[in-house]
Amino acid sequence: MSEMSSDKTTKTDRVGVYICYCGGNISDHVDVEAVRNRVEKMPGVAVARTEMFMCSDPGQEMIIEDLKSGKIDRVVVASCAPSLHETTFRDAIKRAGSNPFIYEHANIREQVSWVHHGDTATNKATVLIASATAKAKRLKPLDPIRVEAKKHTTIIGGGVAGIKTALDIAQTGIEVTLIEKSGILGGQLNHLDRLAPSGEKASDILQEFLDQIVNYKNITIHTNCIIENVTGYVGNFRLDVVTKSDNKKFNIDTGAIVMATGSVSYTPYDGEYGFGRHEQVIVLKDLIHILKENKSSGSVLEVNGKPIKNMVMIHCVGSRQIPGIHKPKENGKLNEYCSRTCCAAMLNASNQIRENFPGTGIYEMYRDIRTYGRGQEALYTQASKNKVVFMRYEADALPEITPSPLPDYPLQVKIKDSLTFNEEMDVPVDLVVLATGIEPDDVSGLASMMKLPIGTDQFLLEVHPKLRPVEFPITGVFLAGTCQAPMDAGEACNAAGAAAVKASALLRKGYIELDPFVAQVDIDKCQGHGACVEACLKEGALELIETTIEGKIHKKARVTAALCLGCGACAAVCPEKAIDINGWALKQYEDMVDAIVSDGFAV
Amino acid sequence: MMSPQAKRQENKILILATETCAYPGADSVGQTHSSYPANTYILRVRAPVLFPESFYIDCFKKGISGIIVMSCGEECPYEGAYKAMAKRLDSVYKKMKAMKLDLKRLRLTAICTVCNRAFLNEVKQMDQLVQELGPPQLMA
Amino acid sequence: MVPTNTKNFDTLVVGGGIAGLQTALDLGDQGYSVAVVEKDASIGGKMIRLSKVFPTLDCASCITTPKMSAVAHHENITLFTYCTLNSLDHDNSGEDSGNKFPGINAPGVKATGLKALITQNPRYVDPIKCIGCRQCEYVCPVHVPDMEQGGLSATKVICIPFSNAIPQLPMMDIENCMLCGQCEKACPTNAIDYFQKPERFIITAKTAVITTGFDLLPVRDNVQYGNAKIPNVIDSLQMERLLAPHGPYNRVLRPSDGMEPDSIAYVQCAGSRDKSTGVSYCSRVCCMYAIKQAMLLSGSLPLADIIIYYMDIRAFGKGYEQFYQNAKAMGIEFIKAKVARIDEGENGQAQVRYELQDGSGIATADHDLVILSMGMIPAWNPGAICPVSKDSDKFITSIKPKISPVLTDMEGVFVAGAAAGPKDIVDTITESGCAAMEAAKFMSKRLVEN
Repeated sequence: MSEMSSDKTTKTDRVGVYICYCGGNISDHVDVEAVRNRVEKMPGVAVARTEMFMCSDPGQEMIIEDLKSGKIDRVVVASCAPSLHETTFRDAIKRAGSNPFIYEHANIREQVSWVHHGDTATNKATVLIASATAKAKRLKPLDPIRVEAKKHTTIIGGGVAGIKTALDIAQTGIEVTLIEKSGILGGQLNHLDRLAPSGEKASDILQEFLDQIVNYKNITIHTNCIIENVTGYVGNFRLDVVTKSDNKKFNIDTGAIVMATGSVSYTPYDGEYGFGRHEQVIVLKDLIHILKENKSSGSVLEVNGKPIKNMVMIHCVGSRQIPGIHKPKENGKLNEYCSRTCCAAMLNASNQIRENFPGTGIYEMYRDIRTYGRGQEALYTQASKNKVVFMRYEADALPEITPSPLPDYPLQVKIKDSLTFNEEMDVPVDLVVLATGIEPDDVSGLASMMKLPIGTDQFLLEVHPKLRPVEFPITGVFLAGTCQAPMDAGEACNAAGAAAVKASALLRKGYIELDPFVAQVDIDKCQGHGACVEACLKEGALELIETTIEGKIHKKARVTAALCLGCGACAAVCPEKAIDINGWALKQYEDMVDAIVSDGFAV
Repeated sequence: MMSPQAKRQENKILILATETCAYPGADSVGQTHSSYPANTYILRVRAPVLFPESFYIDCFKKGISGIIVMSCGEECPYEGAYKAMAKRLDSVYKKMKAMKLDLKRLRLTAICTVCNRAFLNEVKQMDQLVQELGPPQLMA
Repeated sequence: MVPTNTKNFDTLVVGGGIAGLQTALDLGDQGYSVAVVEKDASIGGKMIRLSKVFPTLDCASCITTPKMSAVAHHENITLFTYCTLNSLDHDNSGEDSGNKFPGINAPGVKATGLKALITQNPRYVDPIKCIGCRQCEYVCPVHVPDMEQGGLSATKVICIPFSNAIPQLPMMDIENCMLCGQCEKACPTNAIDYFQKPERFIITAKTAVITTGFDLLPVRDNVQYGNAKIPNVIDSLQMERLLAPHGPYNRVLRPSDGMEPDSIAYVQCAGSRDKSTGVSYCSRVCCMYAIKQAMLLSGSLPLADIIIYYMDIRAFGKGYEQFYQNAKAMGIEFIKAKVARIDEGENGQAQVRYELQDGSGIATADHDLVILSMGMIPAWNPGAICPVSKDSDKFITSIKPKISPVLTDMEGVFVAGAAAGPKDIVDTITESGCAAMEAAKFMSKRLVEN
């Protein structure tokens, strides 16, 4: 770029201004020719032209011609909102062989001719063009910031989300390392049997994934490994890993990281619904295990050799907790969220039992049945058909488990059933199953090391659930699966695919191009106060380094462009005005204000 | 160059509008052809956290009668920038107080891409205020 | 007439709602060329027509417009709006597809790309000449109900469909046009073309993603809720428009007489979870949007009573339960009951008759405004157009719902969003990313194999 200049204060005096009639949309209210006459006389303006439709080919050609002939080296187009044609004109400038960032837009349709009329509109259009010209004079050619990136992704967590992310990314030709802290892959799928609602075997699904991943040439798997440290930034992270068995340390250099650290089951506190006090109170995971191993073919389900005549399934244990009603954990936290998967899993288990062991009666005690997903409502309907008895409790009247006065039953469950006039009832039972919810696996150490946000629900927190649902604010770090929120296997796989697509798009070229609108330090002016470093909102984007100038050591601010957000928090605090944002400089805004207060005279 | 309405034009309002929220919001007002006072000058900004205290004070010294910072509010795409900017405005208010400038001349608000009524309200209120107060009597 | 105009892409995305946009962006960002075919005149789908979205209460426009604009300006994405998909199938013709799929159709390998026949419907406006200035719209003398505003306000026969539509091109409702010629005279670029004809063209692609979204069950088909004939009984998408910042009245008013409603009721599972009145499945989003609308209402009409008649509140997503509890704390009343029928009441009210779930019997209540949370049904039926299978619920079949819910039974064809069953925006966006990934994988796998 021959025009590239490191001196920010350089101003050009060859601005070309192009004013659009917009077929009357502008010219009906703004006297376009009068504006042109005024603008032409402004200092620094080399040419000022008008056109019926500046966005049309003749309009664009006019700009290209002026650039090529060297008449101008900065462009201001005054037309409709920049959202419509800013890219059009930047492209035209590119076609002329110039740098697209020498362009500034004056919005004289949406913000002038469509909202003001008569002389005021003409005057305001003039001032806005003067202001845009003032900014344009300080524009400089910019190039996208290019960060070399290692075509390698590290997945943390070897559950279904981690495996799927690894397979997806590897397929696009990017190398993958998968790190699992336990000895086996598969995560929670190892603890499940028939999956709701359609009854696929968890082990079959896991096997299908494992068959693909173990022999995949681009994927390296490390089990029994702990991550000790993470450094670097997008494209260039380094992980320090240690093996649990022999304390062997090694490094992984990687371009992107996907957190797929998964979840665990909520463990009821001692005495919660009789848990830990009565052996007949078990959690859903135990029941699934019992059903998986059960070989008995009688008409009654047997658990530990004892026939189950009646059983109660209690929903929302460790989920949907309400302050003031539920007992907080030791850290003072409540699980206020819904665990999403338990309703369907409970109904699935109930249907299996009722269909295979019709002699076992089931009572489901719930707050709301949340069979939201595809095929799930049918489970609920089926359970009713299977004569599962549904009883509904309110959060402020939780079911109580006590020893049964009846000789045939060890326990009874007291419930105020809001489906039958809020009547209080005692249900004698042989077995109580608690639908324990999902909690994120504790990765607080890793999260604080990597500066990853954690939500009030203790799950890892994405940037935005709709705009950037699988990304962290740290560029190059993604998340997938139940470390983010409760999900079933299919949903975790969707999230894995979404994270994989982002990681592949990021790394596919081996380098990353970032917007050039980042902070730049004027080394001559910088006195090394460090105010900018303190104000910087992005850790690592700005630092003070020592450099030797003419034999003396000086402290100077240095921007890591790959990390800079371009927000300008640094520019606001520098006493020397030695740091500013390329393309959106504070100095440019000051000039724009001058142009505005002088009605265009001070350009 | 001054028009007959020049007197009114002396009361200039500067609007710092974020490129992701408030600036497209102002365009949306334009699309509905709703009229609003022409003494408003909208500058497209990435994040208003760029502006130091002195920028605001200098604007008043240069003769700007009122400033509206139209931000994205808590939906700010730059993590932490909104809070830092809101904190900065607090110290601008302190300086304005010391200079005996009416604090209402500087206003922080959140405007989204389709907040047409909110935009018009803000502009109308600031215009009424600056018409009452006139330009700030400070000299640079 | 056999179209001769053929355009080649890596992926064809059918439907330009939020699912299609996200899929297109995620594929375009990977360097694949993408065609988005949309039946409406603007991209944005249902989401751009919403007010605010749960659970963050972001303005829907503010979330959708950046994605719409990113798609419109993306170097790898081409938009085809106001188009009909006539057919989509594997292209096994062999000889003429040999060069179309470089990398896939190596010599001797059977062509298995996809071929779609598309019709560009006439807008009666030349898209090249039009500058989106709306002069035609301003001068047009004919007013028609504005379906973009749920039919609650009027628009012109020629108009840009809504303020932030992309593309900013007007279209003419030729059925209602009286051919007065005023728009033609007003147009500064001579873009009006009364004689524009439908144009057919072919899109070939290596993969396709179906993101055709949903519709609500029509109220007019529902006898129990009055066949859409009872005043002030509206569906939830109409309510979205009433709540939107640029809605039909700019505030929430009762449609029949413009009164500010004091008593507002939501009828949940209106046609969902009930085979006899609609569909047997849960429509998954209605609980949350009803709660969201109720919260927005209690902000704009702080004195109004707001009641939600529900069977189960399904607040299952991230942050949803907390959102529900906040709504309860705000004083929104939740009544566990199944609404059996709605009749016209006095003074423009609607009378709701409901069965209490505690078994205590039937009750009635009068409300100024009743919103029906109608069930979601697929917006597109592959029928004779495309041999992809649909399930008993009529949504596209997902062949591996646990491993990758976006896989269909057609090779190279994927599905995302509400086309694969009711889904909220959060889940839709994530699923769209997954569909883009699967399509990309399919294409890179083919390259490796050949």
